[in-house]
Amino acid sequence: MMIKIMFFATLRDYVGAKTVELEIPKDTTVAGLKETLVKKYPKMIPAQNSMMAAINREFAADEQVIPVDAEIAMFPPVSGG
Amino acid sequence: MQKSPCFLRSRVVEKIMAFPTIISITEKELDLDALLASVTSSSDGAAAIFSGMVRGVTKRGDAHATLYLEYEAYTPMAEAKMRQVADEIRSRWPSVEGIAIVQRIGRLYPKTPTVLIVCTAAHRDTGVFEAARYGIDRLKEIVPVWKKEVSPNGEFWVEGEYLPKPGE
Repeated sequence: MMIKIMFFATLRDYVGAKTVELEIPKDTTVAGLKETLVKKYPKMIPAQNSMMAAINREFAADEQVIPVDAEIAMFPPVSGG
Repeated sequence: MQKSPCFLRSRVVEKIMAFPTIISITEKELDLDALLASVTSSSDGAAAIFSGMVRGVTKRGDAHATLYLEYEAYTPMAEAKMRQVADEIRSRWPSVEGIAIVQRIGRLYPKTPTVLIVCTAAHRDTGVFEAARYGIDRLKEIVPVWKKEVSPNGEFWVEGEYLPKPGE
């Protein structure tokens, strides 16, 4: 299935784009997506262990399966204030 | 006809429900006076306000100078999480009445306010100080906003340390 991922902060710099469209197998988990992304964008390797995923605006677990038509965002630990 | 206590209680509940909550990610200059006025009710006698600003000279830890900070947000999730922080404050400190949580984004120079947390209550000894403190601490944990620091020696993204739990 096709998904669209938004990237923020360091991850956007590593990927070189604000959003990326990607074809992934059905039942791909967040962990699986992270692996795919790191392979596709090796610059993301330093962020591999700290990067977070949000699905439909909630923090997602690594084992969560990516649902159809989800709003997906990936980013480093937050630093607002 | 005399009003029943039950009727009175439901009126009180309605009033509590009506206390203002203001949540915003904005590129505009922060206006503390206007914000404070908009979260203040006639039953309030105290407000605790936290503001953060861009620090131009850092002495603690890795001492350095900052030219400016560039803030960005994942706005729809950030505003949802700020609303969650306000809900958490209300469940921990039921005495808190009005709440404002506002984060400014974009390029911000030293001495410029970047964030405002306002909690109001009837009296100052009801937990408002702790509530405002909780608001800024929690914002820094779960609200998806990031800042890039631009210094005379280059630029780098600041990253927090907190890893929120799934669904947190």
